[in-house]
Amino acid sequence: MTHSLRFLLLAAVAVLQLSVTAQTASRAVAKPTPKSLIPRSPDGKPDLTGVWQAGSTQRGNWEEANGDLGVGGTGRNPAAAATPSFNDRPADREAAPYQPWAAQKVLEAFNRRAIDDPSALCLPLGVPRLALLGLFPAQIVQTPKQIVILYEYMSVFRVIPLGATHPDDLLPSYMGNSVGHWEGDTLVVDVIGFNDKTWLAGAGTFHSDALHVVERYKRINKDRINYDVTIEDAKVLTKPWTLHSSMMLREGTRLEEYVCAENNLDPGQYEKLLKDGVKFTR
Amino acid sequence: MQIFGALDSQNVVYTIAMAGHLSLTWLLAPIVCCLAVPVHAHHSFGAEYDTSKPILLTGIVTKIDWTNPHSFLYVDVKDDKGNVVNWKLEGYPPGVLYRTGWRKDLTVKVGDLVTVTGWRARDSTTLAHSREVTLADGKKLFFGPPAGTGDGGNTPAVEVK
Repeated sequence: MTHSLRFLLLAAVAVLQLSVTAQTASRAVAKPTPKSLIPRSPDGKPDLTGVWQAGSTQRGNWEEANGDLGVGGTGRNPAAAATPSFNDRPADREAAPYQPWAAQKVLEAFNRRAIDDPSALCLPLGVPRLALLGLFPAQIVQTPKQIVILYEYMSVFRVIPLGATHPDDLLPSYMGNSVGHWEGDTLVVDVIGFNDKTWLAGAGTFHSDALHVVERYKRINKDRINYDVTIEDAKVLTKPWTLHSSMMLREGTRLEEYVCAENNLDPGQYEKLLKDGVKFTR
Repeated sequence: MQIFGALDSQNVVYTIAMAGHLSLTWLLAPIVCCLAVPVHAHHSFGAEYDTSKPILLTGIVTKIDWTNPHSFLYVDVKDDKGNVVNWKLEGYPPGVLYRTGWRKDLTVKVGDLVTVTGWRARDSTTLAHSREVTLADGKKLFFGPPAGTGDGGNTPAVEVK
């Protein structure tokens, strides 16, 4: 083996190792990102401002990133792998750590093919489910004192004050109460104050009002934010449930209006199926 | 209604006899039925629609509802005896259609000839879930997500022993 060939092989192995490291270990360990790789706000923090698509790792504008996949795209290649539905469990995701009685309840909703999905009633998805949804974009508006996330889906928003604490008189809500702070280059958002009317990530993944969500947004380059979320709910889970996703910058995309109540026919269809005894369950 | 089918791995042709006065020939597109990949969407496809009933319809657009949470395309489909039935085809909401390349009142108009792939409703009415629309000029655009979207996929979120 020539010296140059050996060098190339070693370099290739090093690149592969770096790639694997970037995909796994670095998700948990806060590694400093070279300042030149990501846009920064005047206060030196990573600037997350922009329109983003969750659940994707494809670079480019909306059409470029989704065309092949057919995720709301032109579907040039319908055989290409696509990101999963918000009701589906991705192949690489571990089982949700529900207590046995609660797991049975989740399974029942799965077997009913998710007709009990709160979104079928045009209700907000909650957190983290909305942050994992990729068919619709979300826009982040960042200021030094607060971050606002605008979601096209159901036209809901989150206001995330930085360095604040949760109010002690929270009304239970679909989207919860969010406060954020920076840990190095990672935006950490703590969310409590939920009602118990949303699903977490997948068909039937209910929770209680004890839900506590911690999100970590880390912009690793111009195009991508790594999104890691830890879900705690001692009333239904046996341990914290951690999910990993990503958000990709979609320059040129604008949020559209989404008025779900306009023509929501599906609940009526579900009622009709049940009334007529049409078999649809698993 | 009776459905008579012949199935092989490449193509499927169903002849439908509907209430004794209507028959349609459906040429089914296997690439659509078999390569379905789950994507994000509103709510359960699998409750309302049957992945084992893929269809391909060619007809004249009679109406398009650009509405949330889902849009609807209405198509008059004529059988070989000249009988016409109006099909209602569910699809993406307007914002997603826009990002998919559709332009309201431009991409397709009432009176246009289209060919649509999709899946029939479980109640066997003339309601279907649409996937790909082929326009009169041959251009193809997705009007709705793949089969099974939103119904929980193949694996539950939990493991129950």
